[in-house]
Amino acid sequence: MKKLFGFNLLLAVFFLSWVCAGAGDSGSVGVSATSAHPEITEQEKLLPCFECHKEATPEIYNEWFDSLHGIGMVKCYQCHGTYENMKIEPEASDCMVCHVDQIKKCPQDKKCWSCHTAHTFKRNAK
Amino acid sequence: MTQSRREFLKRTAALSAAAYVGVTLPFDEKGLVYAASETVWHRGSCRLCGVGCRVELGVKNGTPVALRGVPESRTNFGYVCMKGMHFWKVMNHADRLTTPLYRASKKDKFKPISWDEALDIAADKFATAVKEHGNDSVAYYGSGQALTEETYFFQKMFRGGLQTNNVEGNPRLCMASAVGGYLTSFGADEPIGGYADIEKADCIFIIGSNMAEAHPVVFRRVMRRKLDNPDVTVINADPRISLTSRIADIHLQFHPGTDLALLNAMAHVIVKEKLYDEAFLKDYVAIKKGKAVSIDFAEYEQFLEKYTPEYAAKIMGGKVTPDQIREVARRFATSKGTLSFWTMGLNQRKQGVWANNLVHNLHILTGQLLKEGADSLSLTGQPNACGGVREGGGLCHILPGHRLVAKEKLRNQVEEAWGIPKGRIPPKPGYHTMAMFTAVNEKKIKAMWVHCTSPVQSLPNCNLYNEGMAKDDCFMVCTDIFPTLTTELAANLILPTAFHFEKTGVYGCTERRSQITRKAIDPPKGAKPEVWIIREWGRKLAEKLNDPVIAQCIKPFEGLEEGYELPKAIWDEYSQKLTKGRDNDLRGASYEVLEQMYDGVQWPAPTEAFALTGGTVKKFVRGMDPMADSHGKDDKPYQFYGPAHPDQKLWLWQRPQADPEEIPDAEYPFYLSTGRIIDHWHTMSMTGRVKELLRANPYSYIEVNPADAKRMGIKPGDMVEITSRRGTNIMPAKVYEGPIEGMVFAYWHDQHPDRMINKVTKDAYDPGSKEPEFKICACRIKRVSGPKALKPYIV
Repeated sequence: MKKLFGFNLLLAVFFLSWVCAGAGDSGSVGVSATSAHPEITEQEKLLPCFECHKEATPEIYNEWFDSLHGIGMVKCYQCHGTYENMKIEPEASDCMVCHVDQIKKCPQDKKCWSCHTAHTFKRNAK
Repeated sequence: MTQSRREFLKRTAALSAAAYVGVTLPFDEKGLVYAASETVWHRGSCRLCGVGCRVELGVKNGTPVALRGVPESRTNFGYVCMKGMHFWKVMNHADRLTTPLYRASKKDKFKPISWDEALDIAADKFATAVKEHGNDSVAYYGSGQALTEETYFFQKMFRGGLQTNNVEGNPRLCMASAVGGYLTSFGADEPIGGYADIEKADCIFIIGSNMAEAHPVVFRRVMRRKLDNPDVTVINADPRISLTSRIADIHLQFHPGTDLALLNAMAHVIVKEKLYDEAFLKDYVAIKKGKAVSIDFAEYEQFLEKYTPEYAAKIMGGKVTPDQIREVARRFATSKGTLSFWTMGLNQRKQGVWANNLVHNLHILTGQLLKEGADSLSLTGQPNACGGVREGGGLCHILPGHRLVAKEKLRNQVEEAWGIPKGRIPPKPGYHTMAMFTAVNEKKIKAMWVHCTSPVQSLPNCNLYNEGMAKDDCFMVCTDIFPTLTTELAANLILPTAFHFEKTGVYGCTERRSQITRKAIDPPKGAKPEVWIIREWGRKLAEKLNDPVIAQCIKPFEGLEEGYELPKAIWDEYSQKLTKGRDNDLRGASYEVLEQMYDGVQWPAPTEAFALTGGTVKKFVRGMDPMADSHGKDDKPYQFYGPAHPDQKLWLWQRPQADPEEIPDAEYPFYLSTGRIIDHWHTMSMTGRVKELLRANPYSYIEVNPADAKRMGIKPGDMVEITSRRGTNIMPAKVYEGPIEGMVFAYWHDQHPDRMINKVTKDAYDPGSKEPEFKICACRIKRVSGPKALKPYIV
């Protein structure tokens, strides 16, 4: 388990470096020391996540919008945080704000989204 | 180093893809909320809307660290909305007020002073006002967010101590029409049923409410009911298509202010097609018009004659067809159980009480009441508008326990309970909210206490009332946790208070449910619970006015520790002495009982044994409501014992369609309506200080229908000027099929002077409930520029 964690962390760092390595007109873009999100301007931080993500990741936005979370207005920042504390992958504690009971009943060695597909939140057939 | 939005968009696509290919963190025990070993969880209520969700605050080493829902609670079953998930983050915010602040003149800067000095000044100013200008020169303006113990204690001090009924609160701005509707239709305030009806309802009729954003956790239950049972009909009637409409089978979209015609037309169809419940009408119903003049069914039927679906559809403005009205009326009448929800869309209206009556009419006509899945359920805006203000005596015309000020016998009951001389409470109701702030403008109010609310931002046509509040003629004390527009403009003295979970007290939510929140952590050093502030102020007041009766008002609470013992003593006095035998009998809901319950107690609950079962799920039903047995007039299954109907019947009202105060014309061609959004609470003094919530909705927008936007040359994000006969705002536009053509809609949370929509709204009010018509006025709009970079504005 610990080995796997280390490998995943390395992978994560690699991916984040790769994602943010592109250089635009303004030069290379770094990742905030405290956030998994690429740096954006203070003004852009005042946009709700979906304003950009419905263009950047329309499939994810649409999955969320049509899900129970989308209808029930559980927005991106509940699971992924805001800029400074943004997480690509949420933690179980984010789910447990509402789903304490369900998590107690679920297998303890699995992540919620290994069965409840992220963004659609439908139980998959695995 | 930053990147352009376009670059960001490209990269986020890749970033999200990265998560998809398995870059994940481990499922670590550290993440398990329920397993966090050093965290202690404290059960209480959410601090925000009127739903009454039960939550637990996680505290570690004296600091709040997390929040979670309570799965066992019958209000929310563990679910929490976006605001509720994050409200606790304000507790340790750097802006918390921690010392009393004083300025002699509102032109001066505030200076920190000691608590003793602050309370001395407060007592001196109120005592001087009473001595020099009479008892009605002082006033209290409170909040549906104050704990019941706070509202009750404040009104006791003002009525019994200072001998004025100038006791009001912001529920006048949101719930007063619902109160008027319940009293006139059912004879008693507050709903008959509750949320438990959602899971049994087969037809859910939502009118004038964007539940999805304003009451999200109740909406989640409605959503679940619909998704699990596709045959359940959901009808949404609203001039604006909102997120609530997403689950609706039928959306009725019409011009603002024409819904009385719709409701009468539904009644017309129900009567014409004989879909009413004749036996129910015969056994339980009286029919009234005007000022409660009795009429017979034939006259009522005659009145409905003109409200044909064709007539109503024409009045309503083109988006509704006569056949839709017939369809909605039939489904309403014939379902196994029909449950109606509404909130400010009906209440904040010049015809608010009538609109409430007409929804109740449909339930009375069809017998869609008192059975599983059927209720006429007004959603409450604030967490304790029902419990604290409607039940605790927080409005100018009511005393604790749903008693009218105007009735001597009821005043005497309160005087006796308080141990003060008979005749001490004045017989005349005080100023209602709009009259109170008019009196401030007229320099009639010399000292005013504003508690936990920001009238500078929340009053309609606020420019007019802010003039008076800004002057030094009225000395103002504000009790709050943060600076607000009101503390900055109008306060002379700011007293820093404890926040939720930093003190103990009861909230009573929408469905007659009282729930306790115990103190879990100490407030920041220097902040004090309000009940302590009132007691200490009262002692100084008694000295300065040399009045033993004021001392008597605080005597039962002297010497008690303020975090728990003091509020408990106040609750005991209120519940045991003031609710005894009243329709909101709470004697069984002692602190000891409330602390045992996951989700509190629904009144009436006259005994602890009954309260421990959860209380009364349905009022007026024999076998479910103990007062239906003890106060019944015959042996029928339903007994309407409410204090406002001596005949113990439900009243069906003849109420015609009537226009709002202001309708569009050539000069001001648009309807303006306003409302909440999910991420913010009221004037955003709390939610604006939580990064996640602020960023999700940092400013107010004006929603414009695409057809209007095209005509006016307005594109998304353009800056638009909104002008009424009272004021002007400039805010960015959202262009989408929300508001009906000819109508614009603005969010009211923004504190920025350019975007504070209550500068534009109208202060006309319902003649019965005195609730202002926030929801409808006339305005004009104009594009003033392309998009501008804006900054959020928090005082």
